[in-house]
Amino acid sequence: MMMAGLCLAQTGDMVPPEVRRVGDRLACLCGSCNNTVATCSMVGCHYTAPARARLSAMSKAGVSDEAIVDDFVKREGKKALAAPTAEGFGLAAWLATPVMALAGLGFIGWFIRRSRRPVVTASPDLGEADVAKYQQAAERELSRFDE
Amino acid sequence: MENIGALAILLAFCLAIYSVIASLVGAWKKKPFLIASGERAVIAVFGLIVVATGILLYALVTSDFRYAYVAAHSNRDMPFYYKISSWWGGQEGSLLLWNFILICYALVVVLQNKKKHRAMMPYVVATLMATQVFFLTLNTFPASPFQMLAQGKNIVEVQDGNGLNPLLQYWTMLIHPPILYLGYVGFVVPFAFALGSLITRQPGDQWIFTTRRWALVTWFFQSTGVILGAGWAYAVLGWGGYWGWDPVENVSFLPWLTSTAFLHSVMMQEKKGMMKVWNMVLVASTFFLCIFGTFMTRSGIVASVHAFASSSIGTYFLVFLTLGIAFTIYMILGRLDYLKSETELESVVSRESSFLFNNLILLASCFAILWGTLFPVISEAVTGEKVTVDAPWFNRVNIPIGLFLLFLTGVGPLLAWRRASSEGLRRNFQWPFLGMLVLMAGLVAAGVHHVYALMTFGLCFFVAWTIAQEFYKGGAAIARKESMNLVRGMVELTHRNTRRYGGYLVHMGIVLMFIGFAGSAFNKDTTVEVEQGKSFHLGRYEMKVLSVNNGQTDNYVWQNAIVDVTVDGKPYATLDPERRIYSQSQQPVGAVKIHRRLNEDLYLNFAAISSEAQKPIIQAYVFPLVSWIWIGYWVLLLGTAVALVPSKMKMSYARTEVVGMAGKHEKVAK
Repeated sequence: MMMAGLCLAQTGDMVPPEVRRVGDRLACLCGSCNNTVATCSMVGCHYTAPARARLSAMSKAGVSDEAIVDDFVKREGKKALAAPTAEGFGLAAWLATPVMALAGLGFIGWFIRRSRRPVVTASPDLGEADVAKYQQAAERELSRFDE
Repeated sequence: MENIGALAILLAFCLAIYSVIASLVGAWKKKPFLIASGERAVIAVFGLIVVATGILLYALVTSDFRYAYVAAHSNRDMPFYYKISSWWGGQEGSLLLWNFILICYALVVVLQNKKKHRAMMPYVVATLMATQVFFLTLNTFPASPFQMLAQGKNIVEVQDGNGLNPLLQYWTMLIHPPILYLGYVGFVVPFAFALGSLITRQPGDQWIFTTRRWALVTWFFQSTGVILGAGWAYAVLGWGGYWGWDPVENVSFLPWLTSTAFLHSVMMQEKKGMMKVWNMVLVASTFFLCIFGTFMTRSGIVASVHAFASSSIGTYFLVFLTLGIAFTIYMILGRLDYLKSETELESVVSRESSFLFNNLILLASCFAILWGTLFPVISEAVTGEKVTVDAPWFNRVNIPIGLFLLFLTGVGPLLAWRRASSEGLRRNFQWPFLGMLVLMAGLVAAGVHHVYALMTFGLCFFVAWTIAQEFYKGGAAIARKESMNLVRGMVELTHRNTRRYGGYLVHMGIVLMFIGFAGSAFNKDTTVEVEQGKSFHLGRYEMKVLSVNNGQTDNYVWQNAIVDVTVDGKPYATLDPERRIYSQSQQPVGAVKIHRRLNEDLYLNFAAISSEAQKPIIQAYVFPLVSWIWIGYWVLLLGTAVALVPSKMKMSYARTEVVGMAGKHEKVAK
């Protein structure tokens, strides 16, 4: 509760919402940071500053978010995107980790099955005759110690 | 004098080669004098590298600009301590630091094991010194720190040097690289013992017991190095981030992940004689990832703000990595019979399987980070088109992995070895789990709707409860039995099994760090161009720029803005963010001011002066809960220190097996 209070205690000024929204999908290509157009903090960054201006202008002119992103990709190529698209070879970027994790899970499953100890159970099906026979044998053996 | 440094490195290189050959031949031909000679060569190499290091440091401190390295990475007006840190400010010097740390470790290993592990030691020394040969090759040929500036045949001296990169002129940079290197280089020791054990088919798990402390200490250095890097990025780079998923940051994190996995899975080998192959793979992976990280930093294969200038040394690294990995794989495959498990798993719900899942998650994270780091290069090679993999991708892939790991941090330690009963599960987890649900419901009711932040807070609460429960239960039992108070009972409990309870403290440190990470979901920022005497707002803070001042030191000119901060009209703080322009490099650098509090940091960066209006441009950030990351580190440090203290009670983990109801009439059901 205290955390919620602490976190929500501020409301504030932000990068314009359209820049935050769309810019987070676009990489800053200045070459000296790994931020997005939304998060690059370099004042007057030679890539982000004009990119933000263009993005804002397009958004205010009513261009959809998708169309703005497409426009950046058309100009800069796929590297304009902050993350690879989930199509073509870009799909491999997204799928490789889950596939590897699943393979690891499968390996663990196989390992557990392979290395689990056999379950040992005691047999309850001894008849009275068997018990008597073994009892006699035991008594015979014990009587030898008495001698 | 100017040639002695280079000569010392060259001699060290030759002696290191001799040490490898003498050790191997000595072991092969069973010649003790050769083995002893190989070990003494280590001492000689140590002496030579100390001489070389001393000469470089002397040249840096005395501003001897006849050396190309000194001229490139220092200048006259730099403070003394930054002249020292120039040692690792450039490619050649940092490789010399690597050599220096490696030979110190090798010397300690030789001195510690004069009478121990005699069969294994020649191979341990050969492995350590083979690595040394590789790094000395770099310092001898492509990256010598002792190259002189020359005109024609004459050595010349420039008036002043270029100076250290201004971004590196910050106190954490005095200790961050050496500490990170202590962690990176240190893992060569467990690897060398592992390899020695494989080659000589040592009975038992001697290498594990011998290197347990090494692994823990070097893991601690890796953790400290990574967190110092994060602290440096936060306080210096001016954007308030502590982790930017930069390729160099990423590769520094990879060995930490595998070494963490190793520190967990090694317990399976110690206590159950299981996962022997896996531990070999992990210790080797950690070592090679350390080398790989260095390769990535120095080869220019990926673009990074942290990378050294690209050079030809990448090829050397590739050769070393290829040969080293191939040999290790060959050795492991050739010794599979010796690495067989001694016991078996009894249940999926057990401590043993929790270690398996913990390893899976850590390695999945390692793979994800490596894949994301290399994907632009791979994609360009496959499709011919460049793509970018920035923070959004890494966050999307790694946050779920991190949350699952956090969950396992709470669950794993409370599962019983061999087989956890449903009653035990209920007893251990029902209250923490219910508490987690109540907290999450409360947070939702309070307006927190960020899903990952909610889950993180909930899981942190869950894990913290399970850890506290463990301390409380054990401490209370001892307190009752020994008639002492609860706190003393807990201290006694910890002292009786320092490794276990130190580990819990480390987990608590990780929990606190996750609280700090979750706070980033609520970051706020604004960038304003503001006149003197005018105010601006961010959240509950009102900030007024009182004045802009100028000044100069020997090393840089500075300009600061005095910013008065009030909250609800009441004075809160006065901050003076600064910008500096370093005299030699003419590079502008911000010196941010941070008002740190447990709930949030107020972070001000004097970014620039606007070119038209000549007004200061201030970037203000509010970072909720970020201080918990640094507090978490101190708890992690405490936990590691506790784990290194010998336990009061010697724990012996007999590898006993429950054979069930054995008898003449048993039936075995598979």
